[in-house]
Amino acid sequence: MKDTEIIMTYLKSTIIACLLVLFWGMSAEAQITQKAKIGKFAITNATVHTVTNGVIENGTVLIRGEKIVEVGSDVNIPAEYEQIDASGKYVYPGFFDAGTQLGLQEIGAVAVTNDQAELGDFNPHVRAFTAINPSSVNIPVTRVNGVTHVISMPVSGRLAGKATLIDLYGYSPDSMAVSPNAGLHLNWPTSKKGGWWDDRSDEEVAKEYKEDLKKLNDFISRAQFYDKMMTDFENNPNNKQQPDMDEKMQAMREVVKGEIPVIISVDAKNDILDVIEWTENYPDMQFVLAGVRDGWRVADEIAEAGLPCLVSTLYTPERDYDNYQRPYQNPGKLHAAGVKVAIATGGVENVRNAPYHAGFAASYGLGKKEALKAITINAAEIFGVSDKLGSIEEGKQANLFIADGDPFEPMNHITDVFIRGNKIPMVSRHIQLYQQYLDRGAKTN
Amino acid sequence: MKKLFLLILTFCFSLTGFAQEKGSVLIKDGTLITIANGNMSNTDLLIEDGLITEIGEDISAPRGVETVDASGKYVMPGIIDAHSHIAGVDINEWTNPVTAEVSMEESINPNDINIYWALAGGVTSIHLMHGSANVIGGQNETLKLRYGSGMNEMRFEGAPRTIKFALGENPTRVHGQGFDVQPRTRMGVEQVIRDHFDASIDYQRNRQEYLDAKQAYEDGTRSTPPVPVAKNERLEVLVDILEGEVLVHTHSYRADEITMLMRVFNDYGIEDYTFQHANEAFKVAPELKKNGAYTSVFADWWAYKFEVYYSTAYNASILNANGVKNSINSDSGELIRHLNHEASKAVHYGNTSKQDALKMITINPAAQLGIDEKVGTLEVGKHGDVAIWDGHPLSIYSKTLKTYVDGKKYFDRAEDADDMRLKVDAEQDFEEASGRWYNENGRHSETCLRGAEIRFSKNGMKLQGN
Amino acid sequence: MKKTARLIVFCFAFLMVCSLQGWSQSSPAEAFKNVTIHTSDGNSIEGGTIVWRNGVITDVDKNVDIPFDAYVRDGGDSLHVYPGFIDGHALWGSPDIDEDIETPGEPGNPGYGRAGIQPERKPSELLQADSKALSEAPKEGFTTAALGLKGQMLPGQVDLFFINGKKTEDLLLEQGVGVTAQFEEAQGQAYPSTTMGIMSQLRQLFNDTKALQQQEQYFASVSSNYPAPKQNKVLQALYPVMDKQQPFYFVVDTEENIERIFQLQDELGFEVVIVSGKEAYKKAEELKQREIPVLASIDLPEEPKWRSEEEDEDQPEITEEIRIFRDKQEAAYKADIQNIAKLIDSGVKVGFASNGLELSEINKNLMTLKEDGDLEDEEILQMLTQSTADILGYSNQLGNIDEGRIASFTVFTKPFMEEKAQALYSITDGNLTEFEQESSEE
Repeated sequence: MKDTEIIMTYLKSTIIACLLVLFWGMSAEAQITQKAKIGKFAITNATVHTVTNGVIENGTVLIRGEKIVEVGSDVNIPAEYEQIDASGKYVYPGFFDAGTQLGLQEIGAVAVTNDQAELGDFNPHVRAFTAINPSSVNIPVTRVNGVTHVISMPVSGRLAGKATLIDLYGYSPDSMAVSPNAGLHLNWPTSKKGGWWDDRSDEEVAKEYKEDLKKLNDFISRAQFYDKMMTDFENNPNNKQQPDMDEKMQAMREVVKGEIPVIISVDAKNDILDVIEWTENYPDMQFVLAGVRDGWRVADEIAEAGLPCLVSTLYTPERDYDNYQRPYQNPGKLHAAGVKVAIATGGVENVRNAPYHAGFAASYGLGKKEALKAITINAAEIFGVSDKLGSIEEGKQANLFIADGDPFEPMNHITDVFIRGNKIPMVSRHIQLYQQYLDRGAKTN
Repeated sequence: MKKLFLLILTFCFSLTGFAQEKGSVLIKDGTLITIANGNMSNTDLLIEDGLITEIGEDISAPRGVETVDASGKYVMPGIIDAHSHIAGVDINEWTNPVTAEVSMEESINPNDINIYWALAGGVTSIHLMHGSANVIGGQNETLKLRYGSGMNEMRFEGAPRTIKFALGENPTRVHGQGFDVQPRTRMGVEQVIRDHFDASIDYQRNRQEYLDAKQAYEDGTRSTPPVPVAKNERLEVLVDILEGEVLVHTHSYRADEITMLMRVFNDYGIEDYTFQHANEAFKVAPELKKNGAYTSVFADWWAYKFEVYYSTAYNASILNANGVKNSINSDSGELIRHLNHEASKAVHYGNTSKQDALKMITINPAAQLGIDEKVGTLEVGKHGDVAIWDGHPLSIYSKTLKTYVDGKKYFDRAEDADDMRLKVDAEQDFEEASGRWYNENGRHSETCLRGAEIRFSKNGMKLQGN
Repeated sequence: MKKTARLIVFCFAFLMVCSLQGWSQSSPAEAFKNVTIHTSDGNSIEGGTIVWRNGVITDVDKNVDIPFDAYVRDGGDSLHVYPGFIDGHALWGSPDIDEDIETPGEPGNPGYGRAGIQPERKPSELLQADSKALSEAPKEGFTTAALGLKGQMLPGQVDLFFINGKKTEDLLLEQGVGVTAQFEEAQGQAYPSTTMGIMSQLRQLFNDTKALQQQEQYFASVSSNYPAPKQNKVLQALYPVMDKQQPFYFVVDTEENIERIFQLQDELGFEVVIVSGKEAYKKAEELKQREIPVLASIDLPEEPKWRSEEEDEDQPEITEEIRIFRDKQEAAYKADIQNIAKLIDSGVKVGFASNGLELSEINKNLMTLKEDGDLEDEEILQMLTQSTADILGYSNQLGNIDEGRIASFTVFTKPFMEEKAQALYSITDGNLTEFEQESSEE
């Protein structure tokens, strides 16, 4: 690099830094305690991607309290609304990552900060909602990239526990939860050998798979029985001895009644086919597939079974002989077959990359429009919250963001984020460190 | 008929013989991202016999040279990944805190499907690194992704030797916590390095004295024979580092350990070095700049362990703004598939210019590997390592169309097929082979510390650490 | 069973006599007559006679004057005599690897033994003579084997034995025909744990060996004022390899590992014999140029199941993806089983090594080599006999049935490549063992 270039780079960065400081209007230290603002906001002159009602050019979005109160191109803006001029900018519904462990894990390698894996095989009664840490440093890092709400779920054992749907803003799990119990996470017992460490013979693998399935089926039929028994008792307790309380069985009741879905993590083709057949045994229950990396191989079967899929794109192909594009194409191929797909990164600290998972899906067959749905409204529908989330519509919860361009493009930026009507300070550890160290100014030694 | 089949087979399996064949191609009317001289629209690029021989307008193809139309397309230098573990057999000789004697040159797996997948992301060269279990790990090897060629043909001829150092949690966890062998702390890490440099200086003197005495004895100018000092494979490499023949690439995260190593290197006169990962390099950017140190970082990885908790995805932008030569690497079989996308995050986090972001995956890593005279830009005289993209490479919607190494095409999206494996296990049927080689063989995965994390015990696999 | 027991008693007595009076001119001769005698070049003598005395074949032909003192067995024109097969690197009788190991205090400095560096170990001292393989091998036609040891990178020396059940331990032909080497990491948590670590370790061993040898020479050359070299059995065992008096018997399969051996050979300058070499055909030209022989494994892959399955047998649909996969798999299968044929065609010397392969697999796999492996009967025979003898340095003494050769051969009920061929007699170094014939109904 030539000297003049270095000076220019330095000047540019200094200017940017000054602008940033001006923009936030206070020192980095002060921002740690900066509060979100809630009230009345009017986002004006924006290109509004409503997702459910097309794109509104030169549009306005009114936010009052926690809700979106009006959306359109010809909106009367009452005087008391704080106006945010979004000329040349775009408004999108907040992005929804439908499968994470955000809030449950802080630092992967530090065991005491890991709350996503409880001991035991059948834990329908453990709840992610209980252990969400609202102060997780990962949360602000995620939301400033436009991801405003996520499914966070336990991961270990056969029935890992209840997933929760949370907004990425709040001071307690209660204040964050959209659906405290959003689903029950099931790790499908794979019929495929683990890896090199798995020294079981093919026969042993098959036998264990059968046994695992039997345990699962037994557990569910016990739960069905328990639910029926309890319902009978609740309907008419007269002359009946009160059954003992069973927390696990109690937790299964909303599942066997189909009130919340079972989220089944499954990847291998044969396992997916088994899952499809298995779900037919439980017509009253709801099911969602997650992972589904071989999904493109059996997309028609999944579509026919009407099972929605939570998918990502940024992983290496499942099999050495797979075409290099398969992970990127999987959402597109599933969608083309008629499967409803939603983006789920499976991540923690980098859930902020959810838009890029969608971007790759868009680029490799899903298309931008469907990719946008996959990261907004589809997941809201799958988890039964499309009346609250997933689009920019009157009456919905104000989870949305303003971007200076297509948010799937990393070269663009998110400038404002609203979560449940709260205008979120655009602050995170990453931004604070940037502000502090871009032009550090201390002596070198 | 049988013979014919044999002949075909022999041909199929002896790609080695053709491997280093260099190619010629004329790429016409593309937008050239030269890196060296900005972007040039509607410009032709001629590669002859592996080298870029002409850049300009209206170049006509020499006889027999294929012409590729790149109008509306972008042509950029092949991406260089300064930190990779694909194409390796073993990654970590994790049994000793210092293993300078081992070399990834001897751990190349040319049949790794990840090589093809990386080519499909426009990557042409990688720095195949030893793992990070040891304070002074093994030597690394710079490769060109000549997929289909033999182990030795994969090597980037003329690339300088490099070696892996590692600071912080990995070596202290593996050796200190795992084996009760120093170092268990960052204090110990420093002393392991100093002790070994000192030992290598002593060794060099003693060995030379022995060789001189031996010569003198044989010449008759010395009456008593000397006591032999055996050549020491490990200390020889450390001597080479002190003599500046080996570039040091150090796995590091925290600012304190980065400044520690710069102090040590200043004491021993070591000059050419790169900090790998360096999640906290942003804190000491002025010091790095002052020492002429390079950095090679993740675009956004953090929080997977304690020493990367205090991180920022703005690291690359801060380093760049402070004049530190920085690259963005993958350290992963996944990220290497879209390093262009990783580079674009430097624009997202901190508004690094597009040109500078592209330098972080081309000329900057080339400089860090000492191959910037040969690759990393589109300039006459450089190697014909280029990729053609259907849009601007920093856009998430852009795809690699063709990838050339030495002017020879190794990836073509139009001709891409299923199952690009080079090596097949005859005994595995379709479903049996439905895993990944790494999982099946368990020697390592595409990332840094797997070889050290997973330990065998009599009772099977044991995860070290968490 | 009774018969075998009697035979063993007889043989034992005979052996004692031999060992006491082995040099005596008067020890009786033995002979087979009316047998088909196959020589290693693929020729055969029908209705032939073979006579041996004192462990040496004295006469082979169609019409032979059988000495008056020869004990003759009549083959009745139905038996087939083959030169004794030679195994170029077998692990028969080797102690098993001790799996019960501890992590050394310093994993990076485990000591030679723990690291698997044991070139001083000798099969002749460690042989487990009662191992089943040693009594079964003669029934498969083997009369001679270079025995190696199980272990890691340098598990020990290779000793050449005549094979004859428990008696093998007294039938050592040559100690130290080579030193086994392999890219086998130290057990558990110890250096070297990688292929590259093994490469470095081998280099360092050569450096240290060279230094020790130098010091010994210096010490011997002066009368005073020089420190005595420290004895080191491990390094001393490598002197013959370093001095090219013994080759490494390098167990290796992949193309890349063979290239790694070339690299080491160029640097360290040892002689080498490749053992196993499943992908050696990929390096055939260079092997030939370097004059490196291959003691080939016949541990062949199983034929892909689908090749023999019926088309419509409730199979999943053959998608395009599966078809492409199978084409590759089939090509790999064929390449694997044609390894030996391609090596021979390229002019590489190919012998045979079981190197841990189960004896029961050998016959089946030889059949596969004949059917799909592009090898003729006589090529297989040559590999099992004369070629292996050549590689072991016994071209004129072992490997064929000829006057003056050591009397090691096997008498089969049928040509050995035919189904249900059984060995009736094994003659090792002139000593005859008779086997009970298994009933054909079994």
